[in-house]
Amino acid sequence: MTQNEIKALLFELIGEIAPEADPSSLSDNEDMRSALDRDSMDFNNLIIAIHERTGRNIPEADYNKLFTLKGAIAYLAAPSGEIKL
Amino acid sequence: MRAAIAAAMTRSKREIPHYYLTETIDLGSALAWLESGNATKSPQDRLLPAALLLKASALALRKTPRLNGLFLDGEFKPGEGIHIGWVVSLRGGGLIAPAIRDADRKSLSEIMGALRDVVERARKGSLRSSELGSATITVTSLGDRGAETVAAIIRPPQVAIIGFGRIVTRPWVVDGRIEARSVVAATLAGDHRVTDGHAGGLLLSNIRDLLQEPDKL
Repeated sequence: MTQNEIKALLFELIGEIAPEADPSSLSDNEDMRSALDRDSMDFNNLIIAIHERTGRNIPEADYNKLFTLKGAIAYLAAPSGEIKL
Repeated sequence: MRAAIAAAMTRSKREIPHYYLTETIDLGSALAWLESGNATKSPQDRLLPAALLLKASALALRKTPRLNGLFLDGEFKPGEGIHIGWVVSLRGGGLIAPAIRDADRKSLSEIMGALRDVVERARKGSLRSSELGSATITVTSLGDRGAETVAAIIRPPQVAIIGFGRIVTRPWVVDGRIEARSVVAATLAGDHRVTDGHAGGLLLSNIRDLLQEPDKL
């Protein structure tokens, strides 16, 4: 996926988890959890949704790399050595 | 929504003689156990700390049944089962606390599934009224962005509420040495018409002990 496709996917998934949130208001380096008032359950749901849509199994130890939009896009754009579950 | 919360809380503060107790609980082993278990699970099967806190609370309530039930017509009626109202904060403001029924008899993954389900449906507004009225006690957990402690207000006709603050890293004494540990403050509000601090203290120490052996939850 290109960076733009990843960004569009993230916006779509955030929109499904939290319809009233406005991901387009996010700046690249902002913590998405505080900016969109999300808690750990929402973030967990985002990780699950990414797994369902892309097959990418993000280990818990990497969660902190996805807290910002910029971090999440970079992480998902990088090739994964993970086996798809 | 705000008016309903205000009415219930006003009634609670007027009628219920609250007492409050707090215990700070070492979560070092619980979080390490969670992390190693989650490492081999796919995202939908991973557990959040909230599932452990809820299960430990439910199991501990078996030993202090007078904290689990309703105060009706001037007397305490023990709960038939341990049905935990789980507080979900709504986006537009306000709170709702659907019941997770028989929480002490659910596995951790069933609890996690139930938490995800009620949080999602609470925010979509699709909870059933039976889920909102059947809790025998309430548990609130502020999650990773909340405050360190919460001394909550009992939801009548219940007789107790347990509040977990944010999990924080603090200096902790282990075998006479200071270590950095993840801890959580558990605060119980109890109803003095039914119990006193003795029962409340037992509940908190049981929750603390259960969280030291997470593999048994």
